[in-house]
Amino acid sequence: MRHVERQEALGEDPDAKKAEEEEQSRSHKQIEESRQRLAKLLLDGMQLVTNIQVAADARETQRRTEEAELKRQRLEKLDNEAKTNQDKFDEITSKWDSAREKIIPQDLWEVLNQQQQQCALLIEEKNKLIGELQQELKNKDEQYTKDLKKQSDDINLLLERMEEQIRNLTKTYRRELMQIEKAFELEWRELLTNNRRKWEQAMQTHNAQELEYLISRMKKVEEHEKQLNQLRGQDAREFSALKIQLENDVQILEQQLQQMKAIYQLNQEKLEYNFQVLKKRDEENTIIKSQQKRKLNRLYDVLNNLRMKLARQIKQFQEENQNLTADYKRIVEQYRDVQKTMRQFATINTQKFLELWLMNEEEAKGLMRKVLDADRIIHTQQLGLLWSEPSYWFLNNMGPIIQKGNRTATALAQEALEESNQPKAEDTEEAEDKERPLQHISLKTVKKILELLCDESGFLIESKMLSLLQPLDRNERTLMTLDSVFMALDIDSEADVYRLVDYFLKFKAQQDASSQGKEKTVEKDEDACEETDGEVAKEEDGSTAPEEKGKALLPSAALLSSVCLHPDDILKALKAFVQDLHKLREKQALGRRLLDGRDTSTDSGYWDNLAHVIPAQKLKLWDALEAALEKYYNILTQRLKLLMKNSSLQQQNAELHLLLQQYCTSQMNDKLLIPPTQLMELSPP
Amino acid sequence: MPTVNSTGDCQPEADCASTSSKGIASFSHVKMQEPVLGDTSVMPPPVRTSVVNPAANIRHMRRIIAEDPEWSLAIVPHLTELCLQYIIINFEKKPILNHLLPEHKKRVLDRISTGLPLSVTANLISDEGYWKRCCTECWTVCDVSCYGGSWKRMFFERHLENILKYFVPNVTDPDRILDAIPLCKDYVRKLEIDQFLPPVKLDEKKEEEDLSDSGSDVEIDELSMHHYDIGGLIVALPHLEELNLSYGVKDCGMNFEWKLFNFTSKDCSNLAKGLKKCQSLKVFKLTRSKVDDDKARLLIRNLLDHPCLVELDFSHNLIGDRGARAIGKLMNHSRLEILTLCNNQIRPPGAQAIAHALTKNSTLISLNLRLNCIEDEGGQAIGHALLSNSSLRSINLAGNELSEPTATLFSLVLAQNTALTSINLSCNHIGLDGGKQLLEGMSDNKTMTEFDLRLAEVGQESEYLINQTLRANQEIARLKTLQQSNSPQEKLP
Repeated sequence: MRHVERQEALGEDPDAKKAEEEEQSRSHKQIEESRQRLAKLLLDGMQLVTNIQVAADARETQRRTEEAELKRQRLEKLDNEAKTNQDKFDEITSKWDSAREKIIPQDLWEVLNQQQQQCALLIEEKNKLIGELQQELKNKDEQYTKDLKKQSDDINLLLERMEEQIRNLTKTYRRELMQIEKAFELEWRELLTNNRRKWEQAMQTHNAQELEYLISRMKKVEEHEKQLNQLRGQDAREFSALKIQLENDVQILEQQLQQMKAIYQLNQEKLEYNFQVLKKRDEENTIIKSQQKRKLNRLYDVLNNLRMKLARQIKQFQEENQNLTADYKRIVEQYRDVQKTMRQFATINTQKFLELWLMNEEEAKGLMRKVLDADRIIHTQQLGLLWSEPSYWFLNNMGPIIQKGNRTATALAQEALEESNQPKAEDTEEAEDKERPLQHISLKTVKKILELLCDESGFLIESKMLSLLQPLDRNERTLMTLDSVFMALDIDSEADVYRLVDYFLKFKAQQDASSQGKEKTVEKDEDACEETDGEVAKEEDGSTAPEEKGKALLPSAALLSSVCLHPDDILKALKAFVQDLHKLREKQALGRRLLDGRDTSTDSGYWDNLAHVIPAQKLKLWDALEAALEKYYNILTQRLKLLMKNSSLQQQNAELHLLLQQYCTSQMNDKLLIPPTQLMELSPP
Repeated sequence: MPTVNSTGDCQPEADCASTSSKGIASFSHVKMQEPVLGDTSVMPPPVRTSVVNPAANIRHMRRIIAEDPEWSLAIVPHLTELCLQYIIINFEKKPILNHLLPEHKKRVLDRISTGLPLSVTANLISDEGYWKRCCTECWTVCDVSCYGGSWKRMFFERHLENILKYFVPNVTDPDRILDAIPLCKDYVRKLEIDQFLPPVKLDEKKEEEDLSDSGSDVEIDELSMHHYDIGGLIVALPHLEELNLSYGVKDCGMNFEWKLFNFTSKDCSNLAKGLKKCQSLKVFKLTRSKVDDDKARLLIRNLLDHPCLVELDFSHNLIGDRGARAIGKLMNHSRLEILTLCNNQIRPPGAQAIAHALTKNSTLISLNLRLNCIEDEGGQAIGHALLSNSSLRSINLAGNELSEPTATLFSLVLAQNTALTSINLSCNHIGLDGGKQLLEGMSDNKTMTEFDLRLAEVGQESEYLINQTLRANQEIARLKTLQQSNSPQEKLP
């Protein structure tokens, strides 16, 4: 059904398909038609059969209504009857009273007669009613038998109809079935013819193809046969050639076999000979073996001896070892004694050292005082200059130098913080920086970092403290917080603070190097680091060059301050720093113990300072003064000499005078032709 | 065909009353003819004579018997053969069956007599072939499809029905039923008893009285006319699902008396007690039994909240409005799906009670009120109920004195209700205008497939047009069922 509808709706299918569909639908159409026809038939038949029931129902209802009506009428009638009769009966009973009053027999008889008649009438009426009702009953009975008959007729009719219906239905079903079968057969036949035609066509084409295949196959077979023959001839030729060759080979091999046999025989003989030789050798070997055995036994003896010796040796060495351990113990004891004595000596030494130091210092101080006095004298007396006493720290020093504690961290922090308020002081600060290790970092940087630290590590400070700090001004607050932070971090010396700052900078640099891909900055940083390292080395060497250093520091400091640390990294850096600090502390502690608790590095300086209490300028002055004094002294000595000469000359003069006088006065003088006296008088001195 | 009897019931009889089983047939004949004689002969079980094959002699004559698969050339039969023979002969004393090999078992079952006492065979043999032989030997008409395809069930149900049908109280030994119960109880699912014989003890005295006045001794009858207590039997059958009862006597012919058809109050209370205890019952039919309001109420009181009762049939009784009210209550206190009350005396109040129950109900599928007298008042009440009900599929109101007002309401129902598929309003006085209104209501309906308006005075034109619409609706319903079953092939109707 739907199929047909669809086909109708579509309408314009390709022809072939349409034809096919039509063929297919023929049977469907037939089935549908049959179905409709049969449904109608079935419905009609069913109605025909049920009509009887419906009719019976209708009759029954009809009967019931009629019955109800009749019943009602009957009841009414009976009521009426009863009422009228009651009236009559009442009338009769009332008459009985009047009859009782009658005295005359005739009247009484008459009345009685009348009464009797009336009663009879009443009874008659009643009987009539009963008769009517009985008649009705009889009628009903008849009606009932009629109804029964009617019903049986109905039932017979029903049966008839049902049978008729069944017959009819079976007939029509059979017919329709036949038709459907016919339709199917027709369709089937058409399909068969169609398919047969198709099949034949296919068979024809198939046969043709088969023929083609056969021909091609035959051709191929022929070709192959030809090839086969060719191959066979070729193979035969090859085979014969191969056979000849192989026969030749066999002959050659036989010859070789003969040769081999000969060689074999020869070998056999040789081998037999060898065998004999070997036998003899074997015998010799047995002899040698026995010899060896004997030797072995001997060697075993030796071995045993050696073992005993070894045991003895071991015992000996054990004893020796015991002795040595005893020696060792004794030596350890001795060592301890020595240490004790050494310690005693050390204390004595230190005492001695102190004494010596004091003595030397006293001496040196005496010398120095002398020198200073001399200097003062020189200045005041010789040069006539105003002399002021130099005030060196070592002048007042007494006893050996004790390592002075560095500046405290807080002080530095304070300085750093104050520095920011006095930017002018930067140069001077920097000049001071030279002397300190690790102080190449500008205070600005330090300040920045410290402030950062102060901001970030608030957790290290007690909360009570924070509330106390609230009213103070910014710098002071920062200072106080830093103080507590340093306490928490166990930082107490200035060096530690610088180390911390340095550490932060390095940490930052490392992070930059790792995070930033820019080579430039890294290089710069490295340069800066190298430079700073170089500076540090220089500083340690003592060859300071403040100008250069200032130049070198400026860029690096600027650079470092420019790269500001990220607040988040501070905690990491701080943690790493605290760990490192601990390591460093341990290391330093170790070194100090090795140095026997005293630092002699400053001693030479101290002594040098003592020695060089007079500066070189002054020494030069002194040299000049000395030279001048020398000259003056020379002059004075010359003068002295001259004075001496003068005095000696005077003496000579006096002596000569005396002599002259003597001579003059002498007799000789007179004796002389020309007396000298005369001359002398001529030329007075 | 039996002759027309007093009840007006003339359905073709297909049970043992007209079968060839001679024992039963003769007995029933006697009973029908002389129900007052007090025939005390106990009904014998179906007699089965041992069959003597007349061809046996011929078998001796032949050398080879090719058509018999059991025939063997050996002169001395096999020992197994002999044993089986012995088992078959002595099956009653020594029922050996379950220990045999399957092939031997089959042979034994094929050969043992169908006349063996049920006490031996009932619980031992489950082979359908044996019970088929039993059935076909007892009854000529055997439709096994009515018994769920089980020959054994058929045998036992019909056996029990026979016993009950011919049970005469105070005469027949009650042990016959008591003995049969343990044998039957596992197999009986349906009991269809269309006659109960009255007791015969006092009949002779009463016959005289009856002749003088049949109406005066009803009370005396009531005391003595109790039928067999079916209640006790129902309780004893654990698998009982269907019970069809009809208190009356069949084929009484000219011995008709009103007292043969009395359904006494004792009977009713017995039945009610049994029903209450029988929890597996699904179908209960009590027809042609003069059930009046009080009895109906008693029965229904015991059926309230029954766990699986699905179908109830009280057709051809005397139920009035009070009974109808009780039924209305039962409708909403059970799982009833099919309710048949045709040919009773329900009037408008009773119909209103049922309609009221119908508004709340959602289980009932079919309602039959044919041949009552509910009139327009009741018809309108039911029409209103159908406007709100959405489960009822079929309703029969034929022969109820309905007229135009009901038709007006039913045209509304046709337009609104989509669950109803079948309405029967035949044999009413609907009239031409009512027919037009129904046609109007029908014009929008797409679900109605059956609408009977014969003899309802609606006019040919309306009826024809309504039938046209019905035809179209049937086509739609058919296509729908085809789609649901998903079978693309179009079947013949």
